[in-house]
Amino acid sequence: MIRTLAKWMLLFSSAIGLGCQEEPGAQDSVPGRPGGLKSAGWVRAERRAFDGAPPVIPHRRFGPPCLTCHNDRGIDVAGVGFAPANPHARTEGLSDRSRCEQCHVFRHSEEVWTPSDFTGLRQTLANSRSAYQGAPPVIPHRVFMRENCFACHTGPAAREAIRCTHPERVRCQQCHVPVTTNDRFLQE
Amino acid sequence: MSGYRQAKPTEGSDDPRESGHHEHRFDRRAALKALGIGASGIAAFSCSDREKAERLQDEAAQIPADLDWGKAPCRFCGTGCGVEVGVKDGKALAVRGDLASPVNRGLLCVKGYHLPGFLYGEDRLTHPMRRQADGTLEKITWDEALDLIAEKFGSALKDHGPESVAVYGSGQWTVFDGYAALKWVKGGMKSNNLDPNARLCMASAVMGFMTQFQSDEPMGCYEDFEAGDDFLLWGNNMAEMHPVLFSRILERKRQSPGTRIIDIATRRTPTSDYADLYVEFRPGSDLALANGILHLLVKNESIDRAFLEENVTFRRGIEDLEQIGYGCYGDQAERYTFKDEAKESTFEELVQFLEDYTPEKVEAISGVPAAQIRSLAEMYGQGYRNTVSLWCMGVNQHVRGTWMNNLITDLHLITGKISRPGNNPFSLTGQPSACGTVREVGTLSNRLPADMVVMNEEHRKTAEEIWGLPEGTINSKPGYHAVDMFRALSRGDVKAMWIQVTNPWVTMPNLERFERKPGDGRFVVVSDIYPTPTTDVADLILPSAAWIEREGVFGNSERRTQQWNRLIDPPGEAKEDAWQIIQVAKRMGMENLFPWPENDWHEPMFEEYRRFTLGRGKDLASYEQLKKTRGLMWPVVDGKETSYRYAAGHDPYVKKSSGVHFYKAKGYGERAALWLRPYHPPAEVPDEAFPFWLCTGRVLEHWHTGSMTRRVKELHQAVPKAYIEINRADALELGVKTGDRVRVLSRRGEIELPVEIDGRGKTPRGTVFIPFFDESCLVNRLTLDAMDSISKEPDYKKCAVRIEQAP
Repeated sequence: MIRTLAKWMLLFSSAIGLGCQEEPGAQDSVPGRPGGLKSAGWVRAERRAFDGAPPVIPHRRFGPPCLTCHNDRGIDVAGVGFAPANPHARTEGLSDRSRCEQCHVFRHSEEVWTPSDFTGLRQTLANSRSAYQGAPPVIPHRVFMRENCFACHTGPAAREAIRCTHPERVRCQQCHVPVTTNDRFLQE
Repeated sequence: MSGYRQAKPTEGSDDPRESGHHEHRFDRRAALKALGIGASGIAAFSCSDREKAERLQDEAAQIPADLDWGKAPCRFCGTGCGVEVGVKDGKALAVRGDLASPVNRGLLCVKGYHLPGFLYGEDRLTHPMRRQADGTLEKITWDEALDLIAEKFGSALKDHGPESVAVYGSGQWTVFDGYAALKWVKGGMKSNNLDPNARLCMASAVMGFMTQFQSDEPMGCYEDFEAGDDFLLWGNNMAEMHPVLFSRILERKRQSPGTRIIDIATRRTPTSDYADLYVEFRPGSDLALANGILHLLVKNESIDRAFLEENVTFRRGIEDLEQIGYGCYGDQAERYTFKDEAKESTFEELVQFLEDYTPEKVEAISGVPAAQIRSLAEMYGQGYRNTVSLWCMGVNQHVRGTWMNNLITDLHLITGKISRPGNNPFSLTGQPSACGTVREVGTLSNRLPADMVVMNEEHRKTAEEIWGLPEGTINSKPGYHAVDMFRALSRGDVKAMWIQVTNPWVTMPNLERFERKPGDGRFVVVSDIYPTPTTDVADLILPSAAWIEREGVFGNSERRTQQWNRLIDPPGEAKEDAWQIIQVAKRMGMENLFPWPENDWHEPMFEEYRRFTLGRGKDLASYEQLKKTRGLMWPVVDGKETSYRYAAGHDPYVKKSSGVHFYKAKGYGERAALWLRPYHPPAEVPDEAFPFWLCTGRVLEHWHTGSMTRRVKELHQAVPKAYIEINRADALELGVKTGDRVRVLSRRGEIELPVEIDGRGKTPRGTVFIPFFDESCLVNRLTLDAMDSISKEPDYKKCAVRIEQAP
């Protein structure tokens, strides 16, 4: 398992390496930990302002439209890596002609204009829980824009911790129910 | 129960427990429903499964809350997307699209998704600062700052009269900020020198609607995006500027493949990539193009005669180019006060007037092939297809912007395609409360709330009565409009000016004209959240509370009034703009204007303002109702919002059983006015010395002057600096390629910046484009302070420049 994880971490790292102007390999290491590899979670966090924000595009602009590679299952792109599936493939109100760059933008610079104190929400897997051991875990996040469960929970792009063991059971919400929020809503 | 929770969709519930007694269950069920998976998702379960699942979810809900979520409209453009902001320990950590918002239905654009980041720049202004004689800033207390403003404005009033004070506000002002400013300036200081940055943004649309319907703001709403067949975008890069609304059009196209998007523009943009037809016209020639379409509609008999006879009257204004001018040359340079006159006209005169605009002649002026003009006329003329025209800055920032607004609406009036679902002229706005604050509260130099004006005695009396002021308090002479206000400041006629929520030293056209140094004998106060080129020239800087750091109300493009609560505390000593104004007014002895308790003034202030709107066809919802909903579109009568104004069956003011009734246009016999408007050339056209057209504008990632969005890492890194789009053939001739730096010069100034060829936008030969967000590369040093003759909105889209390789 550890070996698989490391393999995918390497793959992720090489994928972001392509998007940045830095020397190859510079993205792989963890600051302050020479030789340490970034976890998939670290890489995930690095690409978005907070958990729930659209990730930036970690590679340079390729010719074909985004959905050529980021289709509803994802494909292995020779020389680049695995292009994760489009999690919005079944989102109502979002056309397959929608403009990906409305929400996902490239990183054309590594600079910040002025420093910021913003610390976004970090992903936590603690909300995923089952009623008892063996019961199907609930869905701990909002399903809107993530209706295509396979995008994140199956295939090479799925992180170990959330990888589905039974992707052949196509209808996920038959057993897994969404608990969209534990949060209170702010009162007057 | 909070209003927020009651606003969750609960209709059709068969579960008595959903009455809101059980907080957790209610929230979760409502959220499931909002996701559209409530009933159907659970239908596959047996009853006991269902109970188990619910118990499971209820248990999950017992776990301590992670984030608190509160609703707010987005802080950026005029679309007014609903967002939910996730707050923990007094900090905003996340946002998500509000699934219950009818505007965006859960979707946002990249700016919206990065909203909370803009609040936390390390250089947030946190305490008042006064500029010393040596130019440095000294921290002072709020009391000192407020006393100083009261003293400076008071002495200017005493020594030089009400023309010597000015407040320059914003379409980003909340309704509270705008209303406080309006009451203080017009009811307290008896001045009309109150104008907003929205003058630079949608004043032409205001005058368009006012001249035709005698009431501002569109008749249609966003529901048109699901009802329209043809979407004609006039100079409007919607894919980048109103992305969420553009998604609605794309989705409409997916569901109904016959839907057509027509991009009528002067440059190819990401919007053009999605268009079925791209129509490129020469800058400024849209006037000729629209007249050309009208010509063909009349000639082809594609007009709705019955509609015209019942609902339309004809008007004609002053058309003499010499008499009108452009507001930037010769005698008009210091103050531009041209006033149009409405003369009665007839359909026969219209037909004669349009004789001049044959497709061939229009092709010669606009460069649009006659065949394309015929296609456009066919689209507007097809009675069985629904037509929506959309526009924003391209039409408004135009030396004849009001005329262009008139002509687009004329296309809808002459075909009867108006005030019906899917058939409307719809002007989009660029600021979150350009409609709610500027246009509805009336923070313009000639306006009062609810379409009323200071020149009208009856209107002044109405305002004086609501404000409890003696008759004759309000000044009947309109004040300076935005550009003239800054000209007057430069001249020294304005002695004291307060600027809130805007950045004029980046956005004023022909910027070099307004250069100023603090300590020039005038007093400039700037309230903002970050240091900007405008705070750089301020004598006093005040720290403002932004967005969810205070309670507020915005009004979006579709007449939707949206309220939000204060969700987090502002940093340091930052205070909301309305509070700042109220405190100064109190120090100037005008406490009678703001009689509400200091800890609870939002609701009573809103309810007072609301009195202006009731019974006038501009009826706003009660504050209580706004708190509970995701906004409501006015007029709100008996608690019900209005999707389509003037339309029978939709608008409660229309008593007819069918058709439309333009009941606000009392001056036109309750008919809409169709205006005859000719083609006039732009104020400055390229010549040998300055051979390129310069168009300025925005990019998706940055909002306005970038003072907020550039402080968000992801947005800044996507577009870190301004650039100049040059056509590939022109670049070849100039000997430059992408990334090379060039000098761009106009008759007014020069800047240096990198070239981009075939990027997201593609200009035709002879045209260049520069975005205006970058304060280190001020494109407004180049632009011309020519204005629309009627709205006094500057034209940022057309001037002449020269390009040289940078040394």
